Amino acid sequence: MHFNSVNLWVVAAALLGAAIRGSIPYMFVSLGECLTEKSGRINLGMEGILLMSAMTAFAVSQRTGSPWLGALTAAIVGGILGLLHGSLTELPGVNDIAAGVAMVVFGSGLAFFFGKQFVAPMAPQLPVLEFGKWASNPALRAALRISPLFFLGIVTAFVLHYALKYTRWGLHVRAVGDAPEAARSMGISARQHRLIATTIGATLAGIGGAHLTLYFPGIWSEGISGGQGLMAVALVIFARWSPLRCLAVSLFFGGAQALDPSLQALGFGGFYHLLNASPYVLTLILMIVSCSRSRKLIGMPGALAGRG
Amino acid sequence: MKRHSMIPSPRSIESVAIPAIAFLLAMALFGGFCVFWGAPFWGVFSSIYRAGFGSWYSWQNSLLRAAPLMLCGLCTALPARAGIITVGNEGAFVMGGLAAAAAGLATQSAPAWVSLSSMAVAGIIAGGLWIALAAGLQHYRGVNAVISSLLMNYIAIAFMLQLVEGPMRDPGSLNFPATYPISPSHQLGRLFNSRVHMGLVFGVVASLLVWFLLERTVWGMKVKVVGGNSRTASLVGLPLGAIILTASFIGGGCAGLAGMVEVAAVHGRASHAIAAGYGYAGILVAFLSRQSPLRIVIVSLILGAVIASGGSLQRDLDLPDASIAVFEGIVFLLILASETLYGRFEFFRDTRDAF
Amino acid sequence: MSAKQPRLVEVKSISKSFGNFRALDSVNLTVRPGTFHAVIGENGAGKSTLAKCMLGFHALNAGEVVVDETRITNPDDARRLGMGMVFQNFTLVPSMTVAENLLLARKDLPAFLNSREEHTRLQKFLETAPFSIDLESRIAHLAAGQKQKVEILKQLYLDTKILILDEPTSVLTPAESDEVMGVLARMVERGTLSVVLITHKLRDVMDFADDVTVLRHGRVVASMPVEQANPVKLAELMMGESRPPEPITKKNNSTPTAAALEVKELTVRGDNGLVAVNQVSLTVHRGEILGVAGVSGNGQRELVQAIAGQCTIESGEIRSFDEPFYPTRRGIRKAGLFTLPEEPLENATVPSMSVAENISLRKFDQPPFAKARWFLNRSAIKDAALAVIRNFSIRPPFPDVPIRNLSGGNVRRAVLGRDLMGNEAKILVVANPCVGLDFAATAFVHNHLVEIRNDGGALLLVSEDLDELVKLADRIVVMSCGVIAHETLPSELDRTVVGGYMGGHVAASASCKICS
Repeated sequence: MHFNSVNLWVVAAALLGAAIRGSIPYMFVSLGECLTEKSGRINLGMEGILLMSAMTAFAVSQRTGSPWLGALTAAIVGGILGLLHGSLTELPGVNDIAAGVAMVVFGSGLAFFFGKQFVAPMAPQLPVLEFGKWASNPALRAALRISPLFFLGIVTAFVLHYALKYTRWGLHVRAVGDAPEAARSMGISARQHRLIATTIGATLAGIGGAHLTLYFPGIWSEGISGGQGLMAVALVIFARWSPLRCLAVSLFFGGAQALDPSLQALGFGGFYHLLNASPYVLTLILMIVSCSRSRKLIGMPGALAGRG
Repeated sequence: MKRHSMIPSPRSIESVAIPAIAFLLAMALFGGFCVFWGAPFWGVFSSIYRAGFGSWYSWQNSLLRAAPLMLCGLCTALPARAGIITVGNEGAFVMGGLAAAAAGLATQSAPAWVSLSSMAVAGIIAGGLWIALAAGLQHYRGVNAVISSLLMNYIAIAFMLQLVEGPMRDPGSLNFPATYPISPSHQLGRLFNSRVHMGLVFGVVASLLVWFLLERTVWGMKVKVVGGNSRTASLVGLPLGAIILTASFIGGGCAGLAGMVEVAAVHGRASHAIAAGYGYAGILVAFLSRQSPLRIVIVSLILGAVIASGGSLQRDLDLPDASIAVFEGIVFLLILASETLYGRFEFFRDTRDAF
Repeated sequence: MSAKQPRLVEVKSISKSFGNFRALDSVNLTVRPGTFHAVIGENGAGKSTLAKCMLGFHALNAGEVVVDETRITNPDDARRLGMGMVFQNFTLVPSMTVAENLLLARKDLPAFLNSREEHTRLQKFLETAPFSIDLESRIAHLAAGQKQKVEILKQLYLDTKILILDEPTSVLTPAESDEVMGVLARMVERGTLSVVLITHKLRDVMDFADDVTVLRHGRVVASMPVEQANPVKLAELMMGESRPPEPITKKNNSTPTAAALEVKELTVRGDNGLVAVNQVSLTVHRGEILGVAGVSGNGQRELVQAIAGQCTIESGEIRSFDEPFYPTRRGIRKAGLFTLPEEPLENATVPSMSVAENISLRKFDQPPFAKARWFLNRSAIKDAALAVIRNFSIRPPFPDVPIRNLSGGNVRRAVLGRDLMGNEAKILVVANPCVGLDFAATAFVHNHLVEIRNDGGALLLVSEDLDELVKLADRIVVMSCGVIAHETLPSELDRTVVGGYMGGHVAASASCKICS
């Protein structure tokens, strides 16, 4: 078999572009979940938050004509749902896992309820940065259209990394997540910090949700999140709760998602479903390999250790 | 201090009263939500009631929905009693349905009872192994079962779709990929000339069986010790791995059986339609029932009625189908929140508590 | 660090009740500036509650705590006036470094940290501090003694002038304890610190304190300068009556007895992945109590867990009556080897289950509790529980209450009763059996243990209380840093020698792979 070398480059570029695109929701949701888990909470409801904010972004963008307003509203809606989840789980006796599933049911229910009226063709999209203007090949040009949210995501990762290490708030959050009793004895409010971390985390997820509907192909449908909200939880675990590693792994996951169209372009096709499942399989394998019976993974916040 | 065994203790009254109040509150909130969208408050609930319990037709709809809910609820509840929380019901359901379809198609020429039995067995084994895998990964490798089972849900669905659209596909099922159908004579029978199929019996029997196992047998006690304090279980020499795997297998088997029923009674074939979401609803049922098998029967019935009434809101009041999902979500959130109220009320306090 | 003088602390007739339980009753205490004040008393006497009241953590029912004319009403007041406490449980964050933990404790930490500036400040502080610890090491990797030092450093870093320590030496070796106490005593001498030491170790009181206050059942029974005190008098005041230790009848076994429990070159890893038990070998004979002494954190917990089957064994073997021992239900029953771990509620019961169910845990799968091997006979379970409740005086005597509602002493009785009833125990492995028990309950437990020994049972008794071991054991070994460092007989026991081995820094240091 002889591949046309130009085709190969185009495919590679397309893969890179797709990886970058695909990584954006993962980035935001995993950074959000990373922050939440650093504070000692696990938020399994991200899927519902993702859906609801995706729908909100689409709806607001369509109604107002401004995609940025859509993205902003999506972030706010994400934050509100995060606040709801955080408050619920702060109540003594409430099971985190169940609360997360409840949020998925509630969030997706709300999203589908409001979204019914918005299944119209398109809403104004977020602008993109054209990195491929020099290319003559239209496919290449298309592949190199990158959303500014990508760079926002990178900045967010670094900001989070810095904040956790070098700000008072970051130290407090880490203390609360690792040793809540010790933090309490130093007068640091575990509840407050967890609540804030969960809310901010969900706000970030909201931004990720906006990207789902305000970027090509820019439609709203009920399956738009495809389990990415949940995947981000697994992503955080084997990024070992480090914001910078979350960034890298998000790119990897985004790339994995993009594999199917690329493989089809190269002539291997027909395994649509299995390829779709490949990120899940990879995540599972990685978890199996990196976990061990001695419970605690290195880097795991102590307060999470007793969960599920 | 003797208590007359017929009078329920304050604790058991509490465990019914609190969720009941939460449910009523959820109804109020949902009603308010609907009013905001222009639907009449009581109209919403009478619509739901009529669609759930209003007529024999509605009852059948509710019972049809309740059956898989019971089985899927057990899938979360039993491993939970052994200390393993999973949410893999959907995956076990799908794998069970797939295995049942394969078994059914392979035994087309055998007598109906042989075919149905092998379908049931295949479904139970497939579902059971699926959940046991997640539980085993947590126990032996420390992989969080919630996350692994959630991932496995997606893997199961993808696997099923791949097979249904690929090797197992019926060429005659053009736009709606599905396997070859199972002949009606080999499908699961109905009860008493109604539309309700045998799945209901499976659900009730399974719930009773699991209750009996947990409360009246030695094995059930072992499960409760393992789930109550695994350190103590090791101390008294109980084999943690074996007990956890068995409990998970039985739980998963229930969900797999539900999948079999979906194939053998509802659709008659396997297709993407069998991933209908009963699995996730089962998680809801289990938590609302506080992992108790008898309660699962009742909660499944109520939730089944709510789900069955989904279309009614669209028909009667022009509210989107998803309204029911919103109602479910509110109910779930409020009942979860109400968990925090246990033990707070003087009224329900047992005088023998706290020495 | 300013050279201010510590302030005068006056506790004026404070009373504190929790519900119906009166924890403190008209307690008076004065800590003169620059003095070392010991507060002693038995478990449950109210010492920790007193400390928390002094720091403003509890609202008082009566009286007041005054520091230099200012009333203390909340922890912030106390902090501002220079008071601080080192708790029994560490208040350190494991994943963070020592430096981060010190910074975390400061109330005036800026929102954005300049790491280099902070680091220099910390280094300068360390130069004036009495201990030195690597600022960048993570708490999770430190030993208990070092963590304790970090806790004290934290208080000094916060400019604490009145330092309250709650049983600080319970996790330190005698050598470390002397070091820490010595350092604090010198700071007190210089007038830069007042120390309130809560302890039950009379030796520390006599060696370091200026004044001592004795608490019993929430009341002050005596308060005096240490010169006027002596250990016997203090012990009497603590316990309430002059009571010579109960003579325990031991039979003398002159013939060499068979080995019941053998541990052969056992290696076990702890939770943090480091080796906790390092090729330990020991033998317990029939009719013998072998005591394992040592400060907690040296592998005793892992040793007990390994025998109990609660954690995995890396290498080595456990044998009972000259056969390999497997902690399965059948193996346990066959060998008659029961383990009673420390903190029984957490480690030996299912807290949500009833007393009756917990008592049946070892036997519910056998007749008469099991019918036809499958079905539970609940009435038989209840009857057996009632018998244990009666014989072991468990309060409240209701078999159906959840066991977590019982007090610690009663939980211990229930667990003991479970394993001793039916006389099936041929080997008992017991860890810290009398923690938190009062005098009568302790005597009860001790008598039962000796009875088993006299009937030919073999006991492995792990305890942090050297007095308990001297009283009960036939032989004593010292476990330190995961190895058996020393063996002696109770009659020949020299506390300084034993203390030295507890630190592992005498002859055994060559084999000490953890400390070196």
